[in-house]
Amino acid sequence: MTNRVSRRNFLVSTAALSGLAVGSTALAACGGSEESGSSTTAAGGAADTLTFDNWTLYIDKPNDDLFGEGGTLAEFQKATGIKVDYTEGINDNNELFAKIQPLLSKGDPIGATIIAPTYWMAGRLLQLDWLDQLPLSEIPNAANLIQSLQNPPNDPTGEYSLPWQSGMAGIAYNQAVTGRELTTMDDMWDPAFRGKIGMLTEMRDTIGLIAMSLGIDLANPDDQDYQPAFAKLEEEVANGQIRQFTGNDYVDDLEQGNYAACIGWSGDVAQLSVSNPDIKFVVPESGGTLWFDTMVIPKGASAEQIQAAGKFMNFVYDPVNAARITETVQYISPVQGVQEELRKMGGEAAALADNPLLFPDASTLARLQTWGTISEEKEQQMDEEFARISGA
Amino acid sequence: MAAATTDDTGLRRGRFAPYGLLSPGIIWLLLFFLVPVVMLVKASLSTKPSRFADPEFAWDFSNYTSALSEYSPEFLRSFLYAGTATVLAILVGYPLAYWIATCGGRWKNFLIGLVVVPFFTSYLIRTIAWTSILQDDGPVTALYRLLPWVGSDGRILATPLAVIGGLTYNFISFMILPIYVSLEKIDFRLTEAAADLGSTPWRAFRKVVLPLSMPGVFAGSLLVFIPAAGDYLNARYLGSPQTSMIGTVVQNKFLVQFDYPQAAALSLVLMVIITAMVLIYSRFLGTEGLAV
Amino acid sequence: MVMAEGAAPPVVAEVRPSKGSTRPSRAGTGWGRRALTLVAIAAYIWLFLPILNIVVFTFNQPSGKYNLSWERFTLENWAEPFKDAQLTQAFWRSLVVAAVAVTVALAMGSLIAIALSRYRFTGNKLTEVFLVLPLTTPEIVLGASLYQLFLGRGVVLGQVTVVIAHIMFLVSFVAMTVKARVRGFDWTVEDAAMDLGARPMRVFWKVTFPLILPGILAAALLSFALSLDDYIVTDFTRGEFTTFPIQVNNAFRVSFPPQVNVLATLILVVTLILFTIGPLSQRRRGAST
Repeated sequence: MTNRVSRRNFLVSTAALSGLAVGSTALAACGGSEESGSSTTAAGGAADTLTFDNWTLYIDKPNDDLFGEGGTLAEFQKATGIKVDYTEGINDNNELFAKIQPLLSKGDPIGATIIAPTYWMAGRLLQLDWLDQLPLSEIPNAANLIQSLQNPPNDPTGEYSLPWQSGMAGIAYNQAVTGRELTTMDDMWDPAFRGKIGMLTEMRDTIGLIAMSLGIDLANPDDQDYQPAFAKLEEEVANGQIRQFTGNDYVDDLEQGNYAACIGWSGDVAQLSVSNPDIKFVVPESGGTLWFDTMVIPKGASAEQIQAAGKFMNFVYDPVNAARITETVQYISPVQGVQEELRKMGGEAAALADNPLLFPDASTLARLQTWGTISEEKEQQMDEEFARISGA
Repeated sequence: MAAATTDDTGLRRGRFAPYGLLSPGIIWLLLFFLVPVVMLVKASLSTKPSRFADPEFAWDFSNYTSALSEYSPEFLRSFLYAGTATVLAILVGYPLAYWIATCGGRWKNFLIGLVVVPFFTSYLIRTIAWTSILQDDGPVTALYRLLPWVGSDGRILATPLAVIGGLTYNFISFMILPIYVSLEKIDFRLTEAAADLGSTPWRAFRKVVLPLSMPGVFAGSLLVFIPAAGDYLNARYLGSPQTSMIGTVVQNKFLVQFDYPQAAALSLVLMVIITAMVLIYSRFLGTEGLAV
Repeated sequence: MVMAEGAAPPVVAEVRPSKGSTRPSRAGTGWGRRALTLVAIAAYIWLFLPILNIVVFTFNQPSGKYNLSWERFTLENWAEPFKDAQLTQAFWRSLVVAAVAVTVALAMGSLIAIALSRYRFTGNKLTEVFLVLPLTTPEIVLGASLYQLFLGRGVVLGQVTVVIAHIMFLVSFVAMTVKARVRGFDWTVEDAAMDLGARPMRVFWKVTFPLILPGILAAALLSFALSLDDYIVTDFTRGEFTTFPIQVNNAFRVSFPPQVNVLATLILVVTLILFTIGPLSQRRRGAST
């Protein structure tokens, strides 16, 4: 893993350097034209061509209004004249795929210019050749991408996707119910918590954490046998240890005390623990998963739309704008410099800059793994096995 | 309503009028019920060369054998849960319908309407409301834990009890309405006459009312059993991984795994079993009672 | 749920006490009747418990994203029933789908009902059996088969396919319901009107239609509920289109805002109003039948 990463990083930095060189000239060129062009294009309505379909509650909403004053979308419109048609239509990767598959497989456009699949789904879309290249020349700020997410396995060349937000999957628990701190996956299987343990419907996070606790690596899935992890999961379902498989709704079960502990996502817990300090998050000693949702452009968008999409990506990769989003969603930002920007904002935002859930320390980062690409056949097999065990 | 003008000729030439009246609806059903089911049969006999490729028709019956061998627990569970829910719906629905029919007086319409009112709130939202009512730390669960055979850590959510209860709740109006309709038709002077002749009320009920209301009970049973057997939302919200039903598997295979051939085979097996039950039913009792 | 379990045994028990009594009382009086009333009240409480929960939680101010645990009283949710844009959009879409589907299905279904109850023709029995099939097919099969059809034909799933699907399962329902209400209706009334010189169209609107109207109204109300409520068939035919239940379910993975309860309560209130008007108008007509 370490070897691969360093090799990857080398490629990244060279790519980033060249990109930067091209990008900075582009930035200079664009900057002027946008300033003058914004009023004319906005009036003509020609630039009003960008649709972004994202996950629910995944961007800042000043006063509960997506386009509220001072919010990312309003600021972007002010800066570029482009009004983003922003929808919160994504709740689940498989559901997203089921929605767009019939269209993209026939070469029809799906309506949204940018969508936000999780990295592995972005990888599937890329393998199926359903993605357009990002207009990287429009996105000089892509150089701000944090190192750990550069050139990921789902998009080795980094030309088709940029991370939107990132996060960790680990153990989320309610200390008021458990009565103690949890640190390992074995703590989850404590008979005292029978029927009060939750798993995620996201197969890669649930199986990933269990596999790591059994010493199975995630970086090269096609070379690994995950059967022991599935067997372990099945055992804990059969003996009643595991109560349910859920999406983000585990936060409710955790708060209500239906769950003692579950596999959860860092950002949810970061938000929850503000009102309920008993809710804790820990990356188990054996390791947690590092995942990220991406911004990709499915085929079928016009050149104009692609260009607008690039401008938007560039905008959210500016640390100032990225920090504004982070302040709300409280996941790990893929953009370098966000920590400093949060400190500058002061108040509650500054407190976030020291939150280990948003800015994990080196020892935590060392325990995180991201899934490598799983072959289509193996993925189908794992999905079916997981569905069978989870009763989905 | 324009088609109603066929009445114009209809009254005089009765031979064609009925077909004219039938055709719009029946054609719709042929196109969007019968044809799709045929497509489903075709899909169930297909194979997929790869996961995201289109299925190819191949007379492949293996989908059926694997459907039955791999998912028989889910089939059995579905029929068990749906059957239990049906029995519970009779046990709760019959007395309620009987009470409305006999004691409702001029409030009858209002009272039977009250039975339907909850069903104007989406059943999904009602099911989610049950998760709130039955939560582990809630008062209902606290009461439940007082029962002698329930431990202090007993729970209702994520158990078969919750799933069956949810199924009963969500479909009980389909039981109450047909029973009520059949009870309504009964002339209750018959039971009074029986009583006058010295019969006990219970005997009068058993000998006169119960037999006359059986068509309603049978119709209601089908109307509860069928949607309950194919449901997957109650199991999703109120159940656990160990309470998943066949609907859950079909939904997952279609919309998540894209395994259309096997999903089609699974749903057709479900359809065949239920259609067989309905045919047996209609052979003995006709289709009249199935109208709510 | 617990109540259902608890309520069930007494049901049988309540009729029994009177079994032993030889008192020639009128049917349904005395202990049996009282116990029956208790069971009925318990059943009503059980039926309305979730509804009560839904309504009460419209006044809750949840601490997190899920409005499922009571925190504190607020009127804010009612001040902003349409705060959640996506939910609101889905809500209106649901109403539009229901309105269109119910209108079409009412027309088609009522005509079928008239044909079946008024004429004898070849294929009569076959038609009746065919009509029952969509009602006795599990929703998941209806949804799955339509999904196959649309997918196979390259039809893009969306509002149109959802409406098509809703009409499909409503036609049978309307036909059966209206047929049940017009059964036994004396069609010679029409002939009498004709004999008196009325023109067929006039006969239909003045004689036939008012007579089948109560049946149609009942079918309309129930169909509307079925369409609004539908989850499974819609899930298979919707593509990117979301209806109210679909939106609630999908968003449940991320949040369950109080506005869900507010909108659900709004539907309920409107229904109750319709429901109180409905029987009143029916009773007036009822006198004539």
